[in-house]
Amino acid sequence: MIIKSVDCQTISNIVYDVVIVGSGVAGAIVAKQLSEQGKTVLILEAGTSEGLTLEGYQNNIETFYGALNKNSNSPYPLNPNALSPTDNTYGYFQEKGVLPLSGSYTRIVGGTTRHWEGKTIRMLPEDFKLRTNYGHGLDWPISYDDLMPYYRKAEYEIGVAGDTEEQKEAGAEFIDGYVLPMKKLPPSFLDGIVRKGIDQIEEVTIGKENPETIKLKLSTFPQGRNSIPHPDYQRPGYTDDQLIKDNFIPEGVASVHPVEYGERCQGNANCVPICPVQAKYDARRTLSTIAFPEKVHLLSQAVATQVDINPENGRVTAINYKQYKNISSSEYTVGTARGRLFVLAANAVENAKLMLASNLPSTSGMMGCNLMDHPYLLSWALLPTTKIAGTLRGPQVTSGLSTFRKGDFRKEQCAFAMSIHNDGWGWSGTGATDILQDAVDKKHKYGAELRNELITRISQQLLLDFMCELPANSSNRVTVDPQYKDQLGNYRPVIHYNVPDYCKKTMAYARKLSLQIFESLGAKDYSHYDKSDPAYFEYENEGYFFRGGNHFAGTHVMGTTKNNSVVDRNLRSWDHENLYLVGGGSMPSIGSSNTTLTLAALSFLASEQMLRDLKA
Amino acid sequence: MDIDTPDLMEYFLNFSAAVTGFSRFDLLGTGQASLYFSTIEGIIGGEIFRELLQTFHELYVRANSENDASILTEGITDEILMSGKLGPIASNIIKLWYSATWYQLPDPWREKFGARQNDTSFVVSPYAYPEGLLWQAIGVNPPGAKAPGYASWQYPPSVRLTSPKN
Amino acid sequence: MTNNGYRLIHTVEDLRYYLIQGMKIEHATIPPYLTALYSLKPGTNLEAFHIIRAVVVEEMLHLTLAANVFNAVGGDINGVLTDPEFIPEYPAHLPTGSVDFKVNIEKFSPNTVETFLNIERSKEVDKDAPLVLPRPELNPWLRILGLEETYTFYSIGLFYAEVIRGLQELHQEMGDDLFCGDPNKQITPEYYYDGAGEIVPVYDFQSAIRALRVIQEQGEGSRQQTIYDAERELCHYYRFQQLELGQYYSIDKNNPLNSDSPDHPTGKTFIVDWDAVYPVKTNAKLSDYPEGSELYDAAKEFQQQYYAFLGMIQASFNGSPQALIPAVGGMFKLKESAERLIRNPIPDMEGVNAAPIYRWNKEQK
Ligand SMILES: Cc1cc2nc3c(=O)[nH]c(=O)nc-3n(C[C@H](O)[C@H](O)[C@H](O)COP(=O)(O)OP(=O)(O)OC[C@H]3O[C@@H](n4cnc5c(N)ncnc54)[C@H](O)[C@@H]3O)c2cc1C
Ligand code: SF4
Repeated sequence: MIIKSVDCQTISNIVYDVVIVGSGVAGAIVAKQLSEQGKTVLILEAGTSEGLTLEGYQNNIETFYGALNKNSNSPYPLNPNALSPTDNTYGYFQEKGVLPLSGSYTRIVGGTTRHWEGKTIRMLPEDFKLRTNYGHGLDWPISYDDLMPYYRKAEYEIGVAGDTEEQKEAGAEFIDGYVLPMKKLPPSFLDGIVRKGIDQIEEVTIGKENPETIKLKLSTFPQGRNSIPHPDYQRPGYTDDQLIKDNFIPEGVASVHPVEYGERCQGNANCVPICPVQAKYDARRTLSTIAFPEKVHLLSQAVATQVDINPENGRVTAINYKQYKNISSSEYTVGTARGRLFVLAANAVENAKLMLASNLPSTSGMMGCNLMDHPYLLSWALLPTTKIAGTLRGPQVTSGLSTFRKGDFRKEQCAFAMSIHNDGWGWSGTGATDILQDAVDKKHKYGAELRNELITRISQQLLLDFMCELPANSSNRVTVDPQYKDQLGNYRPVIHYNVPDYCKKTMAYARKLSLQIFESLGAKDYSHYDKSDPAYFEYENEGYFFRGGNHFAGTHVMGTTKNNSVVDRNLRSWDHENLYLVGGGSMPSIGSSNTTLTLAALSFLASEQMLRDLKA
Repeated sequence: MDIDTPDLMEYFLNFSAAVTGFSRFDLLGTGQASLYFSTIEGIIGGEIFRELLQTFHELYVRANSENDASILTEGITDEILMSGKLGPIASNIIKLWYSATWYQLPDPWREKFGARQNDTSFVVSPYAYPEGLLWQAIGVNPPGAKAPGYASWQYPPSVRLTSPKN
Repeated sequence: MTNNGYRLIHTVEDLRYYLIQGMKIEHATIPPYLTALYSLKPGTNLEAFHIIRAVVVEEMLHLTLAANVFNAVGGDINGVLTDPEFIPEYPAHLPTGSVDFKVNIEKFSPNTVETFLNIERSKEVDKDAPLVLPRPELNPWLRILGLEETYTFYSIGLFYAEVIRGLQELHQEMGDDLFCGDPNKQITPEYYYDGAGEIVPVYDFQSAIRALRVIQEQGEGSRQQTIYDAERELCHYYRFQQLELGQYYSIDKNNPLNSDSPDHPTGKTFIVDWDAVYPVKTNAKLSDYPEGSELYDAAKEFQQQYYAFLGMIQASFNGSPQALIPAVGGMFKLKESAERLIRNPIPDMEGVNAAPIYRWNKEQK
């Protein structure tokens, strides 16, 4: 059953218990939690809702098949009324910083999880005290222990597949008896090849002042994709630490028949941008498993533009939106959504943009500041042909190194996690079809020779990514400027971004480590960091570029007082007591974990406080 | 000769088999042969397409009658791939089979032999994409289609390097 | 319950025999469904594609459920699926024994849909009417042990009605001793959750009945005069009928009584493009392909792959449930091999394309 699509007429007559902006994973979880407690919910969604039917989903796949440039937003038609950043392709972000933020998100029902990769990694306990422990960035007002019960809920909702023991080794803590809902995705054949090299290196040192020795060991990453359910799984119970035996079976996604529902991952190797068999979690799964779907109204193609405030008490009175007729015309009508509680879940960049567009910078003035992301250093090589690796098979990533996620070196340089890419060099800018063109056009290969050439140059590709932690810094930020608007007259985000030496030092370290790994494998380094790349930088006389991580966070940071933060420990705005800002924007640090699992956990946490508010 | 005669389709399949390194069975197995044929014809026009196919066919017939495969392999390189006129088209046909994409012909060709109206880069049809031979050549599924099944990625790949016969 | 004085299933042996036939029935529908499915040109007839595909996946579920019951009552599955006779020689009567229609392996067409409707048809029977109608058959598939005449079943549902009846009777006689099978041979949801409804591991009477009811109902519906099954999903018969009528049924899941009634769908209409189909050879045989041609080799390879696939399934039913996962991968490969065949014209047969051959002939090595 699917939530109810409504029109402006309907909603103009209703005062909802909760009005949510955005149907991504954060908004969907809040909608599910609140409606299941009997609350009426309206979701305003800027994008189109076609992906909610099987037919619409099929169209997305077809659009992807037919796209010349198969970038992360290629399954979704370009929507000039609600643009999505796509690695600088459409110039949606106005990049004003020393370095570009870049990256992407998707404005469509279900949000960015529609094309996310699906790594679901908990942050480590020490990440919550980054300032206290290492003197960088910000501390959280809550601890890992506080968030633990909500991590379990998020893992249930997303359906996380992973190896709990490996996560413990990486430094995450779990309560006794708990395992992740599904077993880990098996490591790829390529992982096995890399493992041999890494085992030879054994250990390395990191840090100058207090050098630490780190043992290298590959492990898998937890992922939001369907594998084999874990027979020992126990789902979260009704009190914080209660666990209930559960035969976990992943639930389906909206469509005409259950057979089209989330299947087991089949190795389509296309998690970004679209999984053809819906084996990967996306927020439509949360939207389509809401127990009382009639309690949740969805108004799509409605871009929230302005938050109205009662100047007397700061309470939000309404959210205004522009609803456009279709993506090919800029015609729109305006409307107002009214409710008792309001929740912004439009993602870190859009939440801050909407508040700033409404002239609500918050008492602390920190709205839009502390913009964080994970910059990625890439390093790529070709493996020797003595053993064919068969790159380009399986989920985008199965294994990597989690051994640099913690340590005292974090005083000097940032933590990082390394991934082995089963999808080859694509992210570096050289995809399989680029190799094809080069082989045919430049090297005039044909027939059997061409086939060999392709195996040598594609099946042996190895790309390592190093995801680096970036601490909060108030000068990295989102702002608005009347100069930059889209065709509906809404602001485009203006981005000010830079990467500190604290991270560059780790990127330089990571590059050296990658060369060491390549050497141990007899692989030939092909990395080339072109000076003309917008994300090119130099550090200690070496040139590098990084890639945007899409993990936007920090823009409405949570803290202990209204003077040091935008929201409190429950994600409620200090200035507007009936307004919540959910999503990565509330996170004071991001550690070396992709942000979604944590922001999903926070959405569960915030939902509980919302229910208490609504009761009062 | 009429471009639509089955003969030319035959030449096209034989030519394609020779330059792609895939058999006629594999090529027909993609279900795209006639779509590709008409796409190429529609872009570059019947005349030049026929010239390419006939050049190939003559080599093919000679190689067969003299029982000398090198006539074909050398001929493909010298008379077709290295030809300023036919080479870029032949390369495009290889890329078409491999990636279901028609790539715009190179500028020098367009200047010399005339820019064609429909000669832009595009994926010929959404459902041709999964049939690209590139993916078969490297033993993987086209990303987003023809999934090989859970856990298949942990096993050795199905492809190996071959020692070219000729 | 008796049928004209006959008791069809009265020993555990009979029951196991019936369950083997059950597996044959479930499987026998798969080659025709798959061939019709793969004959659709990619990107066209999405309605037909999804409808047929969903049914195939459910038939796989039924096969697995039947195997679970068979294993639970102590059957030995080794050699059952790999028996060359496990796959009928098409055109074939359905192994239920019904002789009023034959099943072909052929392309998607109005005729094929008609056959599919016959396969999935149901029959209203009075409580005390005989379930099994005696009917002579010349070349029967399903011979019922210990009976002189050949008894046939009008529908798959009636066949399972007899299985359920027999199971009940034996359970009354023997109690839980009936379920003497190795519990480790059950396929559990861990290894089987890909849509299609729930897999039921069978350890006792209750679960055996539940498993059999799923098979019965997904095909034909839970009750007469309704279009849905116990899970409130449209049953197979009406799913196929949508293709004939060019219109979807709608089911009100909250109040199923408000759903459409049989033969009167009210959902979205669509157009079936009967021409967007590859013209595949009906009931193709290896001898249809020139010996030594690539086509011949590919068809032969498909046969081998299919045989290996059944072997893997059998192994998974025989205590190695994890083998089910690569078996599913094997099925994906079969699809690609089948599609390649279906797109290749048969030399010297004007306008006829090749088709996969499923059955492994005894004459072959
Ligand atoms: C290529 C890629 C790979 C990724 N991989 C991972 C990964 O492996 N692991 C991980 O943890 N994270 C990953 N992420 C990040 C992850 O997708 C996001 O963290 C997550 O989707 C954020 O969820 P959200 O609900 O906060 O925002 P979103 O998912 O972005 O949803 C926001 C919703 O709000 C709507 N909206 C926006 N503006 C408005 C407006 N003004 N009015 C109304 N509605 C509006 C949008 O249309 C959208 O539906 C990846 C991201 C990308 C781009
Ligand atoms: S590997 Fe394939 S099947 Fe698995 S999640 Fe990614 S796209 Fe989906």
